[in-house]
Amino acid sequence: MVSVRDLRKSYGSILAVRGISFDVAEGEIFGLLGPNGAGKTTTVEILEGLRRADGGTAHVAGIDVGADPAGVKHRIGAQLQSSAFPLHLTAAEVIELFATCYDRTVDARAVLATVDLADRADQWNEKLSGGQRQRLSIATALVNDPKVLFLDEPTTGLDPQARRNLWDLVRRIRERGTTVFLTTHYMDEAEVLCDRVAIMDAGRILELDTPRALIGALLSRGFSKPVIQQQADLEDVFLDRTGHELREG
Amino acid sequence: MRQTLRFTGSLLRAYVRDRSALFFTFFMPFLFMLIFGSLNFGALGRIEVGYVDEAGGPDAERIVGALQQVSALRLVRVDDRAALDRRLQRSELDMGLVLPAGFLIAPGSPATLELYADQAAPQESGVGRSIVMEVVGRASLAASGSPPAIIVSERRVSGVRLRYVDFLVPGILGLNVMQLNIFSVAFALVIQRQRGVIRRIFATPLSPTRFLAAHSLLRLALSAAQVGILLALAFLLFEVRVVGSLADLLVVAIAGAVAFLMQGFAIAGWARTENQVPPVANLITLPQFFLSGVLFPKETAPDVIEPITGYLPLTLFNDALREISAQGASLWDVRAQLLGLVLWGLAGFVVAVRLLKLREE
Repeated sequence: MVSVRDLRKSYGSILAVRGISFDVAEGEIFGLLGPNGAGKTTTVEILEGLRRADGGTAHVAGIDVGADPAGVKHRIGAQLQSSAFPLHLTAAEVIELFATCYDRTVDARAVLATVDLADRADQWNEKLSGGQRQRLSIATALVNDPKVLFLDEPTTGLDPQARRNLWDLVRRIRERGTTVFLTTHYMDEAEVLCDRVAIMDAGRILELDTPRALIGALLSRGFSKPVIQQQADLEDVFLDRTGHELREG
Repeated sequence: MRQTLRFTGSLLRAYVRDRSALFFTFFMPFLFMLIFGSLNFGALGRIEVGYVDEAGGPDAERIVGALQQVSALRLVRVDDRAALDRRLQRSELDMGLVLPAGFLIAPGSPATLELYADQAAPQESGVGRSIVMEVVGRASLAASGSPPAIIVSERRVSGVRLRYVDFLVPGILGLNVMQLNIFSVAFALVIQRQRGVIRRIFATPLSPTRFLAAHSLLRLALSAAQVGILLALAFLLFEVRVVGSLADLLVVAIAGAVAFLMQGFAIAGWARTENQVPPVANLITLPQFFLSGVLFPKETAPDVIEPITGYLPLTLFNDALREISAQGASLWDVRAQLLGLVLWGLAGFVVAVRLLKLREE
């Protein structure tokens, strides 16, 4: 579904992406992991047709991104980092705006229902909570029934409940048959969500495999995590001060 | 086109819910018109006397000199009778004075002066007439030592009844179409780019051309609505009637809107943050507000800058609007101004294309 060969991109003297290659299978949840500045966003934006690569090739949903960026945009959905929607539009109107961008008509409420926002359809988009806004953002990326959904750090800034909720949503989208390509720097997220992950740093891919295989390989090299046995934790402090008794009535 | 129109519809929906935008687009211009229309500055002016000196002798010069000393009059030299006639008919002058060839102040030879009065300004021309008679009479007495022997032939010219509000309303239309198109598009694009809205939209297949076309269409529609509403209010409040055709006026309004829109796009291309928009937009709009004859005729500005002010887009725009609205001109009559606006629009387009990057690199 995604096929990248020797992809390169530099900004002036900074080499953001230094010749990476990988493939993503259809129906997969693929994670691109790495610290800030690793080149994740640049890679994703090239695949989305938003930036031009300096070298190498990228095919998404069967289309050469470099040759036909507009064609790729028809077949993918994109949720960008730190993007926003026009003010003074309701959630449903935002969906309609994006349907217009794809030159199609959709049932905005049905699209919102797929991300559990049906009850927020008539609320101003700028008044939604962080988690709701992120779900709206994913909904805008689904209006064209994309083959591949790109999510760039979808859970950054969300509280634990909203993160888990979003993971469920991503799994549901994959069950519909959509390939999901996401970037994150949360390892727990990658471990529970992704079928395979690529670890990227300084513009190169260092590892690529299933989370389980990567952990197994590390352990087989003799790695062991120092286990610190703490005598007490914050919960013990809390219970010591407030008591063990159940408070009733 | 259907996609562009649908996108424009979304933009319009968001726009009409933005109260501050509505205030500046529709309510402010209305207040402005109400305040300046009620002040009626026109009544405070001096009596405008146009004169044609066909005699060219020292006696004619003496009369003109004496008239220039009268503080209630403002003397304007006019080249010939035809020009005098035209300016009287346009109510640019309250009265006209011709010193015919052979004009002489000498004992025994009665001098002939011709006076023209604008019927649309009976008070002004009446006062002006008595002042002129008085001055000429005294000059004659001083020169010849005898009572004046002057024949005043008087002819009445019917000019358009041009009041101050008739002058003011087209100026306010021009001012507000300029403000709307420069400020609103520059702010909208810069803020949307900063917030990441534009980046997100260009992750869809929507073409930048259609995106900009939708933003343009929205402003042109708003400009037309603004002109319509202001004209309706001007009629209801001050009985200002458009002498020329409304369709012609609308064509000029759209031509002006496009010219200013391009300047707005150029500013949006230059400014990196929304805070950079007001200074540069004001730098473009404020001098035009003062020099282009919005509230007062541009002739009141110092003569030194007149050659420059004549080519400012707002001057061309105001002139064309006024010619149609107050003088009943046709589009063909204002072709020079229209051409000027088109040239400004093209110049703005070239700059905007160079500066405007919708995607942030």
